[in-house]
Amino acid sequence: MKKVLYIELENCIGCRSCLAACTQCGGHEQRNRNYVIDVNPFVDRQTMPMMCLHCENPPCARSCPVQAIQVHETGAVLSAMTEKCLGCQNCTIACPYGIPKFDVEQNLMYKCDLCIDRTKDGIPPMCASVCPTNTLQWVTEEELAVKKSQFRLNNGMMASMEDPYLENKTNVHVSLPGILEGKEKLF
Amino acid sequence: MDKNNKIPFDEDNYTHNINKNNERKLDRRGFMKTMVGAAGLFAVSTLPWGSIAATELMGLREKKYPKKEIIDVKKLKVGDAFEFAYPTDHDSALLVRLGENEFKAYQNACTHLRCPVFWEQSKSELVCPCHHGFFDVKTGSPTAGPPRRPLPEITIQVEAGKIVATGVKRYET
Repeated sequence: MKKVLYIELENCIGCRSCLAACTQCGGHEQRNRNYVIDVNPFVDRQTMPMMCLHCENPPCARSCPVQAIQVHETGAVLSAMTEKCLGCQNCTIACPYGIPKFDVEQNLMYKCDLCIDRTKDGIPPMCASVCPTNTLQWVTEEELAVKKSQFRLNNGMMASMEDPYLENKTNVHVSLPGILEGKEKLF
Repeated sequence: MDKNNKIPFDEDNYTHNINKNNERKLDRRGFMKTMVGAAGLFAVSTLPWGSIAATELMGLREKKYPKKEIIDVKKLKVGDAFEFAYPTDHDSALLVRLGENEFKAYQNACTHLRCPVFWEQSKSELVCPCHHGFFDVKTGSPTAGPPRRPLPEITIQVEAGKIVATGVKRYET
């Protein structure tokens, strides 16, 4: 059964469990590959996880001159293949979300690969498995359809509300905070 | 929304493949690795030749020959030759007394077509009669005619008035 990562932004309490869990994932070599950012620093305390959204047409992979970033059959956009990556950082520039990180010492890009060793076998990614507030959820397509019928999921509004052309279809589904959707959410 | 969400060109997996399932099994790197691996394998497989060469050069594989009495020194006059068989009964050999204490012995099968070489005393030469091959009696190397390789020399020594064959020298080009 295919499962997808679903992000309920409003639930985030900024505990950064997802970052800690990311470092523990096999193959991540103690480095976390996602972010928790302040939505309105100095104004309120709302935080949100900034995950790789695993675009269906990923700009990072498209911009890679050596095809080091590959798309898994599950839709996950994988971290750069170490034997191919030449450290040009095109992907870092191309990503509209600023997800790929760059290791200067290894001259190597690394990014969220959706814990592919786990998710390809139906195990939730580390971040989703530890999230205490269900901000990050690993849901089936049926559950996602239920959520879609309840809320308007709009990836196009997530990173740049004025310019929807920046965005892609993604394999990670984001539910915007209720205040943006004009309704109160009760989870 | 369409503008930026299109795949810009038809992709083949030679120029731009980002699909993991579409990855070629033997790409350029794989091919290079295979070639380097094969070269390494060939390099390693030549190592036994080194040990073979070492044992040969250090004389570890020298053959042992039995000592064999040939003839009394007194029975062989200076300038004469004596035919015998060494190391086996089927390897005919030739002993030549060149001086009072100078003896030379060779296996006398001509290195051309194995005709028996004989001692031409008047010309001080070893002669193969079949095709007129000539050998230098001092060294055994051919001086004229078809043979190109020297006669195998038999080491000899004099023990208690008798000439004794002790071995056959290694063939060296």
